[in-house]
Amino acid sequence: MKGKIEIRVTVNGEEHHASVEPRLLLADFIRENLDLTGTHVGCEHGICGACTVLMNGDSVRACLTLAVQADGAEVETVESLGDSENLGSLQRAFREHHALQCGFCTPGMLMTATDMLRKYPLETEDEIRVGLSGNICRCTGYQHIVDAISAARDERNKK
Amino acid sequence: MSLPNDVELTRPQYVGATVTRREDPRLLSGEGNYVADIKRHGMLHIAFRRSDQAHALIHKIDIGEVLSLPGVIGVYTGKDIAEIAKPYKATSRMKNYQATYIPPLAIDKVRYVGEAVVAVVAESRYIAEDALGLIEVEYRPLPVLVDPEKALEPEAPKLHEQLGSNVLAEREFARGEVAEVFVNAPVTVGGRFHFTRTTPVTLETRAAVAEYDKGAKSLTLHSTTQIPGIVRDKLSEIFDLPGPRVRVIAPDVGGGFGGKTSLYSEEIVASAISRALGKPIKWVSDRMEDLMTTGHAFDEVVYADIAVTKDGEIVGLKADVIGDVGAYSIYPWTATIEPVQVVSFMPGPYRIENYAARVRAVATNKTLTGAYRGVGRPISVFVMDRLLDMAARKIGMDPAEIRRRNLVNDDEFPYKAASGLVWDKSAFQSCLREARDKIGYEELRREQNLARAEGRWVGVGIASYAELTGVGSRIAVAPGMPINTGTETCNVAIDSTGAVTASFGIASQGQGMETTLAQVVAQELGVKLEDVEIILGDTAAVSHSTGTYASRGAVFGGGAGTLAAQAVREKIIRVAGHLLEAAEEDIEVGDGNVWVKGTDSKMTIRDLARALYSNMGSVPKEMRDEIDNLEATKVYDPFFGTTTAATHMCLVEVDPETYNAKIKKYIVVEDCGKVINPMIANGQAHGGVAQGIGVALMEEVIHDDTGQVLTASLVDYVVPSAVEVPSMDVMHVEAELPGTIGGFRGLGEGGTIGAPACIANAISDALSPLGVEIMELPATPERLFRLIEAAKSL
Amino acid sequence: MKPALFDYIRVTTVDDAIRALGSCNDAKVIAGGQSLVPMLNFRMVDTPLFVDINGIDDLRGITETSNGGLRIGALTRHFELEVSPLIQERYPLLHEAMKYVAHLAIRNRGTIGGSISHADPAAELPALAVLLDAMIVARGPRGERQIAAVDFFEAPLTTSLEADEIVTAVELPPLPENSGWGFEEFAQRHGDFAVVGVAALVGKYGARISVFGAHNTPLRAREAEKAFGSGDTNAAAEALQSEVDPSDDLHGSADYRRHLAGVLCKRALNNAMSGYAL
Repeated sequence: MKGKIEIRVTVNGEEHHASVEPRLLLADFIRENLDLTGTHVGCEHGICGACTVLMNGDSVRACLTLAVQADGAEVETVESLGDSENLGSLQRAFREHHALQCGFCTPGMLMTATDMLRKYPLETEDEIRVGLSGNICRCTGYQHIVDAISAARDERNKK
Repeated sequence: MSLPNDVELTRPQYVGATVTRREDPRLLSGEGNYVADIKRHGMLHIAFRRSDQAHALIHKIDIGEVLSLPGVIGVYTGKDIAEIAKPYKATSRMKNYQATYIPPLAIDKVRYVGEAVVAVVAESRYIAEDALGLIEVEYRPLPVLVDPEKALEPEAPKLHEQLGSNVLAEREFARGEVAEVFVNAPVTVGGRFHFTRTTPVTLETRAAVAEYDKGAKSLTLHSTTQIPGIVRDKLSEIFDLPGPRVRVIAPDVGGGFGGKTSLYSEEIVASAISRALGKPIKWVSDRMEDLMTTGHAFDEVVYADIAVTKDGEIVGLKADVIGDVGAYSIYPWTATIEPVQVVSFMPGPYRIENYAARVRAVATNKTLTGAYRGVGRPISVFVMDRLLDMAARKIGMDPAEIRRRNLVNDDEFPYKAASGLVWDKSAFQSCLREARDKIGYEELRREQNLARAEGRWVGVGIASYAELTGVGSRIAVAPGMPINTGTETCNVAIDSTGAVTASFGIASQGQGMETTLAQVVAQELGVKLEDVEIILGDTAAVSHSTGTYASRGAVFGGGAGTLAAQAVREKIIRVAGHLLEAAEEDIEVGDGNVWVKGTDSKMTIRDLARALYSNMGSVPKEMRDEIDNLEATKVYDPFFGTTTAATHMCLVEVDPETYNAKIKKYIVVEDCGKVINPMIANGQAHGGVAQGIGVALMEEVIHDDTGQVLTASLVDYVVPSAVEVPSMDVMHVEAELPGTIGGFRGLGEGGTIGAPACIANAISDALSPLGVEIMELPATPERLFRLIEAAKSL
Repeated sequence: MKPALFDYIRVTTVDDAIRALGSCNDAKVIAGGQSLVPMLNFRMVDTPLFVDINGIDDLRGITETSNGGLRIGALTRHFELEVSPLIQERYPLLHEAMKYVAHLAIRNRGTIGGSISHADPAAELPALAVLLDAMIVARGPRGERQIAAVDFFEAPLTTSLEADEIVTAVELPPLPENSGWGFEEFAQRHGDFAVVGVAALVGKYGARISVFGAHNTPLRAREAEKAFGSGDTNAAAEALQSEVDPSDDLHGSADYRRHLAGVLCKRALNNAMSGYAL
């Protein structure tokens, strides 16, 4: 049979209905079916973190999640943080600290950082580095990313 | 309106300023445009059946029922592609070089695991992969060559039957009386060094979208390439299409590091199939393919010895380099690109009069090696700076001191190195001095002694190096290669809307060149930074370009951009002289305006452009005939190029029980000439060092005896995370600026060049009480375990 | 790297899950999918039907048991274990261990039942189950049964679970009173599977030691426990080194793993002893 399955997924506040093969990865559903190409695919085995999105508020690997498993869920992608005309505060911190070079890992970094900032105090640089350790960046040497997240943490703590 | 009197003082100085990047807003919001993001009507996807044999004859390809699988459009073998695309090889005039044809899909024979054998075209990548599983390929195994030292033997089985041997290139260097100095030298040290194979691991895997327009008979290829111009030129030949009908575009590219500086089979196959079917064809590498097929890096065995006096003066150096270059000679760089650089740069920034070296590039049944950040120099620095430390230890001299005694002094430039390279003046000595001061070298040694007394294994590492960057037409990037790597082109144009566009053939893979080149052009032209559009990575933009590699972007792009902007500025001044009724020498250009010095007579460049192009009569015909337009195309050739130098220092602690090496401090002091954007320059150094740390401590492509790649996932090919990379200090010494336009030196590769040697020296220093010397990288805990166990059992 | 075709059914009760598993040969359960989906993407597994149990609410949550221990529902995510005050209070070493489990995005999805069923010999949770004398609760068409953790793990990625059974919970008995604990793990890159890890408890009963990454299953190191006696960490480490039977892989040779087992055993026991002494 290998039939398709109806799913309803809310992505960045917009509800989508689709009929998908169970094998379709959430990352491909977001990119191919919804044309939200900000979510990047870097390894498809859960190591690089480029495809990280939020599902019901928690960061998840979109390459290790089936689209059918997102049925009924709220998904947030990098596009939810702000667009190029109106960057969100975390995106601005990344820009100000030069926390990206090629930009390919960046969406995953931003979504991971969003979840980290909600869940952890991130009091030390070490804590931030541990939090980032599931997201590979090959360009920056991480230092400026750590700086950007430190700044975002300070901003968060003020509130 | 009047201008403030100090207008000339307030004219923005963009070069040297930290400016946030113009690329960032789109890349931060998911609005970038990477090749994998491209969608076209009717687009089809390809996937490759790749060889699971390292060396075998293809006996039979049985595609079975593949074509009846819903969604499968076509299946192509090597012979099918050969009917559409001409064969090609990387030629070179270098003596003792043998080129190899590279079939886009294997024909009759496979030579490495991962080599593409069959391409399946389908409506989705999922279906294409389903189809791959239904294809049967029968192989007849041949003897597998994985050890280059065996493959170079005359009786070894040959990878390429038509060639005389597996040695694809051989070269020797000699200066001075090497044999004699070694006989008489008071102190010699040496050994066998091994720099294992790594792979670039750009976060974005390689990808291509080929669109053949049957009506226009033209091919457009969007590719993740660093070298759109080279790819365009070769595709034009391969498909027998004139240049204007082949357009190669590198849009946003997710990291390159050299891995994307070669022409790849998949680009040709996607183009060929698009031409055959008249449909857009997309291929996006998965990570397994990427790890197995993107040009691998390094992989050399080096037998090297150094002779020094008791005072630490180097009197002789010799090296025998065996490069494992994999199955084919990579296009366009050839198999020489990596190993020949090892011997060319081996003497480094040191004064060495007597040098003899031999290098052999040996074909094996492995993925091709190509350019990767540093190319050859990480190995030469590793060997040279390890030798210096070994020599220093033997004569009881401090490692910083032995370097001070041998680094070329300021008054010795230009210095012709023993391999024939010429160093222009660069801050060799002051990088070392500043690094010592900045890290607090004496204090670090004191800390180290205290730590040792507590039984801790703490070591200090130093590495000094020099590299040629922005190399002009005097020296080919790869010896004898028939490609001009010595020039780049920029076109600066102000159009009839008054907008400024600067177009380059070079491409950006994350270096921020849209920003830095805008800084240069805006400053030279006299317009606002935000008013300069930058076009990169499009072969339609300029007539000739080879791309971004070899730390050349800033030197070539900055130089060509400066020349073109200056030429347009001259034209602006001519027109302004007429329109403002003033002598040209009284015209000033800045901030998007032209004005007559000391007066309030002023107009915008936008209005000036409109006057020239659109308001007929405002500029006389004679002047319009003379200047044509507000546009100039300029080519920059830095000829010799320039030297970039640096010293790296680090503090490493090895856990005396788990043998894990942890980097506690890291500092880079480099002379990269005039810094265009300090924030971006620092980022380049950080990223380069991080990759060097990977090479030093964890990254290694591992093959088994049958040529299988054991590291075909990011679980097994381990690149550093944020935890393994320390915070680092980067300092730029802007000593005397070089003769390049703008005084720029290249800096993209430096971090990766210095870090492996620096870390290897630090670990060796930490383990010196045990007498352990690091001769092989990466220095994984497993390797250190074996070395330390062996040392303890002595 | 895209998965092959498969069928998929989502269930909301354990009974439905068991029925679905019985309906098709080689059907498999999918929960968090953090180990399974990579294998699907590499096409290393060929499974005709996946039974998604994420919708079974009965499998969620951490509850106290009558004997003072905890019952952890199979669908409890690693992140829930990490932040559970009950876990932190009663099994501080389990709390500590969660910091070593991969990364936040993986911990947000991965489940205890999945980790236990996957039975990776280098994973933390199976080793802790063995250390803590956990009972694995499984249900199948023949009803529910409890399997002692030490009997559950049979070989790499192989357990004593029947094909039509699913893990529903992990039950932890209370820690022996006044126990000190230690948890040591070594991986070259943070968050990777352990090259080797050792977890230990020390109390008036002596020591409990379990090791992961050094044997074909998580190992409860009885010989090392005996050798420890009333506090000989060196003897325990030595015994452990002869008790484990590691294999070579790209991340470490058998010799290195054996070496590490001894090193980490000493460290874990020393930490446990200092906790106990307090």
